[in-house]
Amino acid sequence: MHTDARTLENGAVIDADLCIVGAGASGITIARELSNTPLKVLLLEGGGFDFDPQMQELYRGENVGQPYYPLQAAALHQFGGTTGHWAGFCSTYQPIDFEKREWVPHSGWPIRREDLDPFYARAQKVLELGPYKYEAADWRNGDPDRVPLLNDSRVVRTQMWQFSRTRFGPKYRDEMVNSPNVHLYTHANVVEVEANDGLTAVQSVRVRGFDGKEHRVRAKRFVLACHTIQNARLLLASNRQTRTGLGNGNDLVGRYFMEHLEMPAGTLAVANPRATKTKLYALDFMNGTPRGELGLTPSAQQEHRILNGTASVEPGDPTDQVKSTFQLIDTAMQSKVRAWEKGGMKGPHPIGVAIQALGHPISGPPRFYHLKTRQEQAPNPDSRVTLSTEKDALGMPRAKLNWQLTDLDKRSMRTFYQVLGREMGRTGNGRVQIRDWLLSDDRTWPSFVSGGWHHMGTTRMSADPKQGVVDANCRVHGLANLYIGGAAVYPTAGAVNPTLTLVALSLRLADHLKTKL
Amino acid sequence: MTLDRRRFLQLSALGIVAIVADSACAVSSDRTDAAIDRPQLLVMLGPERVRQLGAYYRASTPSENSAGALRSALSSGQGSHIPLIKRGSLDDQVRDDFAAGRTVVVDGWVLSVTEARQAALFSLTPA
Repeated sequence: MHTDARTLENGAVIDADLCIVGAGASGITIARELSNTPLKVLLLEGGGFDFDPQMQELYRGENVGQPYYPLQAAALHQFGGTTGHWAGFCSTYQPIDFEKREWVPHSGWPIRREDLDPFYARAQKVLELGPYKYEAADWRNGDPDRVPLLNDSRVVRTQMWQFSRTRFGPKYRDEMVNSPNVHLYTHANVVEVEANDGLTAVQSVRVRGFDGKEHRVRAKRFVLACHTIQNARLLLASNRQTRTGLGNGNDLVGRYFMEHLEMPAGTLAVANPRATKTKLYALDFMNGTPRGELGLTPSAQQEHRILNGTASVEPGDPTDQVKSTFQLIDTAMQSKVRAWEKGGMKGPHPIGVAIQALGHPISGPPRFYHLKTRQEQAPNPDSRVTLSTEKDALGMPRAKLNWQLTDLDKRSMRTFYQVLGREMGRTGNGRVQIRDWLLSDDRTWPSFVSGGWHHMGTTRMSADPKQGVVDANCRVHGLANLYIGGAAVYPTAGAVNPTLTLVALSLRLADHLKTKL
Repeated sequence: MTLDRRRFLQLSALGIVAIVADSACAVSSDRTDAAIDRPQLLVMLGPERVRQLGAYYRASTPSENSAGALRSALSSGQGSHIPLIKRGSLDDQVRDDFAAGRTVVVDGWVLSVTEARQAALFSLTPA
């Protein structure tokens, strides 16, 4: 079922077993899992089915920390969420990403990688990926040239990626609209979460439209799955009953905001271009062929006391002006991508064209390759989302993002390339150059500092309410029936993009909810 | 004065190779010298970059800012190989450097100390 909430009478009250706030990758995944069950499930989406500038404007906020992308362009506010313009990079978090690493403050999940494995396997299907295989040997595809660089290294590993083309909006719209027990409401922006008098459980959420009409949804259980920044914003703004906001008794909501650092950081010169096999690392944007990136092994990370990260390997000259992700995919590029997708995806992908244009004309096997970092940032309580004094058109305080990085972030990136350089030299494969900006002091970041619009943290997971907002089941500590879906619950960011893990965690949450409803 | 392999080994064993090599190489362009100041890097990065890297290295390491000092440093290399004899030994020394973490960052490039010195020597040869 589907209802446009704008058609409801003012003051409507809707009851359900489960209310999911937000119809992005997480919310839709949970709703699909609970579809065709006896449960009455409400899926509330603030936006409609299409891109709407007025709706998108609700995501505008302040950036007061490191230079960051405009918040209204960093996530999509419509059915399907940010999968409406994502690049589809999917890979699994490594076991080390879940572990407590004594050299990474605030690290450690209350679950292990093996707890997620069965859900990763299911998530592959949701995202229309290939088999649940992420070893380089799995993706040789019968081609003897698709082999890892430094195959026998104890220091360097290859992280494999698969690529999803799934846009949750068009892909799952009909399934949601036609579900017998999931009722989708679009244009249903939640502006407040309301708890009981004892603040031990959520009773309802308040929905408000641009026309001023308000509705209330009551349910046995609630899931906030409306994006990492917006989840925190909503909890913090739900401050009528408790000044600091719901679920925020320990001043943790909004803290530990994390990104993946995605920046050009090095160059690889190979010793023997004809003999160097880099095919496994080639980005085949149109066909989505699985590709590898170079990373360091867990033991190397431990030895050097650094964060987890990878480097893409793409042909190019050291003199090329390689762009960071924020520079490459600006708002103009986003518009191009939207137009390209709306037009039926004919011709080369605009991002692929832009990447090609950045390269250096190459004849024959390349001697040089650009190395672009993708790295977790260290969990940092000072990197946080708070509320702005400015309000949006619905009267909600806007989000204020203070993105902050630490010395460990930069030192890890530099050390990564030093170690990679040593290993390339030791094996006679080549030499690595570290970019100038990475060689300066650890506190200074260049103007092109960039994430990948991967918003994580803000309601981090921990078994200890003093260390995290949600428990291992994604339930908000202290609130019996409120859960968080999405990357907001990540205690650490891992080296790879968050969506596959987000879907896996959502499947796990859905299974948990089935036992509770 | 020329310095053949046998004589070099003898001198090396006596620990006086650096002094002799300095004066020998100053007037010689024999095969041994060619290995010293022709790092593998030349193939990878080209002469222009290597010359520049060598200049950077010398500028950042004043104590090695002369052909004599560089040859001395190379010949007293920290690995187990007797350096400066032939190409293969130097290449092994470079690999050993990387394996042992004897690296130096020059203009961002992660180099073996040996090859950085070779680049520095190369930068002192005529372009």
